[in-house]
Amino acid sequence: MSSSHSFSRRAFLLMTGGMIVAVSTSAARGAKEAPLIIMDQATGLVIADSTKCVGCQRCELACTEFNDGKACPTMARIKIGRNLNFGPKGPYAGQRDAQGNWGNGLIVQDLCKQCPHPVPCANACPNDAIIVSPSQNSRVVDPDKCTGCKMCQRACPWDMMSFDPDTDKATKCFLCQGSPKCVEACPSGAISYVAWRDLTHTVPPRLAPTAVVSPGKAQTCIDCHQK
Amino acid sequence: MEHQAEICADILKIIRDRSKIGQLIGAEEILSELERRGIPESEGLDRETCLETLLRQVLNENPDLREICDRNGLAYYHSVVSLSETYARILVWKSEDPLWMIAEVVRENSRTYPRPISLDSLKNPPFGLTGDEIVECLHAMAYHKEYQDIAQTITSAGTQFLYSADYLDSDHAHLLAEWLDVGQANNP
Amino acid sequence: MAKYGGWAGKVLRVDLSNRKISTEDTVEQYKDYLGGTGIGYKVIWDEVQPGTKPYDPDNKIVFGVGPLAGTGAPCNGRTAITSLWPTCWPKPLVASGHMGGHFAAELKYAGYDGIIIQGKADRPVWLSIIDGKVEIRDARQLWGQGIRRTTVEINQQMGPEASVAAIGQAGENLVPMSVVINSYSHSAGGVGGVMGSKNLKAIGVRGTGSVRIAGNKEAWEKLIKLHLSLLGANNQHVVPNSPQPWSEHYNPVSRWVASAGRSWGAAAPSIETGACEPQNLNRIAYRTNNAAYFLGEKAWQYTVRGNGCTACPIRCQTMLKVPAVSTKYGIPEIGQNTCVGLLFGRGFFKSFPDGPKGQTAIEACMVGMHLADDLGIWDNYGQLQRDFQALYNKGIFSRKVAEKEFKGYSWDKYEKGDPRFLFELLPRIANREGELATALGLGTGYLLERWDIPEQEWLENHELLYWKQGHPKHHSNEDAGQCGVIINTQYNRDAQCHSHSNFTRNGLPIEVQKRLATEIWGSPDAVDAVAAFAPMNNYKAKMAKWSLLRKELHDSLSLCNWMGPWVASPLRERDYRGEDSIESLLYSLATGDKKSRQELDQVAERIFLLHRALTIRDMGTKDMRASHDTIPDWVFIDPKDKAAFAKGTVRMDREDIELAMDLYYAEMGWDKQTGSPTRDTYQRFGLQAVAAELTKRGLLP
Repeated sequence: MSSSHSFSRRAFLLMTGGMIVAVSTSAARGAKEAPLIIMDQATGLVIADSTKCVGCQRCELACTEFNDGKACPTMARIKIGRNLNFGPKGPYAGQRDAQGNWGNGLIVQDLCKQCPHPVPCANACPNDAIIVSPSQNSRVVDPDKCTGCKMCQRACPWDMMSFDPDTDKATKCFLCQGSPKCVEACPSGAISYVAWRDLTHTVPPRLAPTAVVSPGKAQTCIDCHQK
Repeated sequence: MEHQAEICADILKIIRDRSKIGQLIGAEEILSELERRGIPESEGLDRETCLETLLRQVLNENPDLREICDRNGLAYYHSVVSLSETYARILVWKSEDPLWMIAEVVRENSRTYPRPISLDSLKNPPFGLTGDEIVECLHAMAYHKEYQDIAQTITSAGTQFLYSADYLDSDHAHLLAEWLDVGQANNP
Repeated sequence: MAKYGGWAGKVLRVDLSNRKISTEDTVEQYKDYLGGTGIGYKVIWDEVQPGTKPYDPDNKIVFGVGPLAGTGAPCNGRTAITSLWPTCWPKPLVASGHMGGHFAAELKYAGYDGIIIQGKADRPVWLSIIDGKVEIRDARQLWGQGIRRTTVEINQQMGPEASVAAIGQAGENLVPMSVVINSYSHSAGGVGGVMGSKNLKAIGVRGTGSVRIAGNKEAWEKLIKLHLSLLGANNQHVVPNSPQPWSEHYNPVSRWVASAGRSWGAAAPSIETGACEPQNLNRIAYRTNNAAYFLGEKAWQYTVRGNGCTACPIRCQTMLKVPAVSTKYGIPEIGQNTCVGLLFGRGFFKSFPDGPKGQTAIEACMVGMHLADDLGIWDNYGQLQRDFQALYNKGIFSRKVAEKEFKGYSWDKYEKGDPRFLFELLPRIANREGELATALGLGTGYLLERWDIPEQEWLENHELLYWKQGHPKHHSNEDAGQCGVIINTQYNRDAQCHSHSNFTRNGLPIEVQKRLATEIWGSPDAVDAVAAFAPMNNYKAKMAKWSLLRKELHDSLSLCNWMGPWVASPLRERDYRGEDSIESLLYSLATGDKKSRQELDQVAERIFLLHRALTIRDMGTKDMRASHDTIPDWVFIDPKDKAAFAKGTVRMDREDIELAMDLYYAEMGWDKQTGSPTRDTYQRFGLQAVAAELTKRGLLP
């Protein structure tokens, strides 16, 4: 089991990545085995009910105005705009099964899953710029380390990375110190903040991830997972 | 009294909780609630002390609480945070007599807004009268000297409205009924 | 970094004749006019000569948004479209239409506060705006298609997030009664033909930028929450429509229709609205259901959800799913709109077999929306439908239209209230097929002229609601006595002003309204109870001025005048007070240009003055009082001949209204005799150049 990993490996990992090494059994529902958690699991999660979304985009506006001082749905860390008109499939799928304002009205709110280990965006980052925040253990981008290479965007199956059009740096949902602005802003109560649970096997991916893990980082995976 | 503050807090919570579900509560019921929790006994309190002293104290200390009495002097309590004075009045009238309720609602609307009210609106919550009940009440009112001010008007869409002639003259009531029933929707 | 937040910074200018695209600096050129209609009137004043006709290439059409568009300020999703107005009769004058949806926000994110379209393309084109990249593109494949297909095809090219404003066949065919629509169902009346005359089929915008909030972000968050806390339901109705435990007051015709037991029946699974206490800001979207409001209780079972503009929590549009219409009429099950747009189809019919709030009426609405919002036909605030009924009932159709054509319509279907009739009528209007459809498409003024019907007949008729210059009244004496009358004299189309009626219909008891009125306009006598009107006084003039200025302010800032101003609120703890300074607080914090309420109202007055000056210049007369600010006879008639100011009538008195105009002109600083702004007034607002121009033309009092 995980408790067999030695102190020296722990120290090694701390030196290389600065990531918190937490050794515990997984309590996540639906997990197939007990993974070694390199990043502490997030304690909270934002989820949403697509039947209640009224397409006002106030969540996207609250996310960026109240966090970044500018109204910028492109950069919002909850994503509505791309599903608003036609649904996730866009206007290319024929109109029969369309969602969104031009289809059956359903608007899917895309949200960060605060993935458990292995965290795709964090693993893909060549600069280890995506770290665990002490607040809610959310996965957050450190803007000082981010170079805007967009590897994280390639890695996220739900295409949840955002980029600030003014700095080109990445940003992502960090749960707003446990009081998510989007939850507060929603006029139909469609968004909720709940205890973390693993939705990575539940929500269908939006795109096929194409990022690779760097050799240096791959070595740490091998080290940890070697029998 | 030993646990005065706590008992007062209990009384406050009982009233506020009841208001949250849209109901008034009378003194007797408050006492029953306390008895269910074993309070008056455990304190060795008698009914009078409970109701008179403690209830009075709770009312004085909490500005959101109101007392409302029906025509027989029976008192009910509510918190305006969840249950407004208007709503409380309607509930009290409802508990007394549907004739009285209809008349008072009509009078209040004619005096305050001012406007007539539609007969149909009396079927909806919180009034909850059936069509037959309304018709019966109106018949009874026609013969009762206390209700001579209650009058009817009909709109061009055939909707019946009630108003109190004490506060609205018939032309005004008629035009307002027409405006409410037909006019506003034609002038969106 | 730009000096000010709020504004995107550039106004786009597109010349379709020479295909030149350029930009102007918003703040440098237009800051004193804010945006929206402000930019619109400025461009028309500076650049469009009097005598220009709406479909001339020299006419310009200005899509304007304001510094608040695209932000999180509640109710900011509005685009104002200013141009010379095709249905304005007998002489086209400047006017503006307004559309909601997502276009305004997307334009801001693309980096623009407005688009000025001038000239005429030599063949059908559409305008593509992708952030800084603006292109004029070939629309020959789109020409002839409805708004829906046009939009979808442009989205396929620009991506699903682009916002598309398009005209349908009506606009292409230069039908004056035509619209431009964005976001499926958000229309701006009257301007479709102007775009058509320029061969401009659509504008597609995609913006990935941002709108900067100049002020401190915590302060902005606090201000937004204050504004949200003051919101009522649609039209800022601040009480529910039935007694609720949480409310002291209620109003059966309030648009706040949520209550326990009512639900969005076609949501999957259904969602109960519950009572929606005002303190619960996560339930604002459930307060309003305009389909239920207009079509009756039956509409609840068909309601999927609310819909509407960017950043607005109210959702005044209702998305309806009516499965029967797909088999019965071959149209999509889902339709959405609000108010007159929702009622487009129902308004033509005198009656339905199952009444005005039955299944057939709902189906007529679904068919009407489906056709009108794709063909792009305008209803002129329901005047199209009222005229249709009157012309049919008076036998005018059968007299003016050749027998063969008249018999080509299934009048039996019409008489029975069969929605199928709309399939015969609406496409003909859009395509100008036949005399009946062509005449209807001209708008009331030109229709009356074409068919030799004296305007006087319409001016005397109580039910037609016609006011002047080819357009109907929009909340006049029946809503707000003399204040309403004054407001309706001021524009070149229906007034589109709701500042006053939002207040008088807010549902609060008259004593509460009078208390609020004292604080806002100086005296409880500013407002009367409906049908208990008192003679004119100064405070009513102040209220009229306030109403008009705030409407222009909203149309220039990008705030919704169907919701604002927010001077009443649902909160008992505030004694139902709203906040009269909310516009200036939002403006100051978003832009960083600190203006008090009075200062911002003065900017609004400048904008309104420019509209007045334009009207005077293009009418060629300074005698506005006699020539322009006219009032139809029916305002002074009571069906039962009750005297004005008696209880139970909304009839106005001619002398009292003369006094009303006197007091209003005085309040505005305009010449009493002519109703024309004086040189001093123009100067006070920095419009010396305007005064000089009018002097040259002999149009200053």
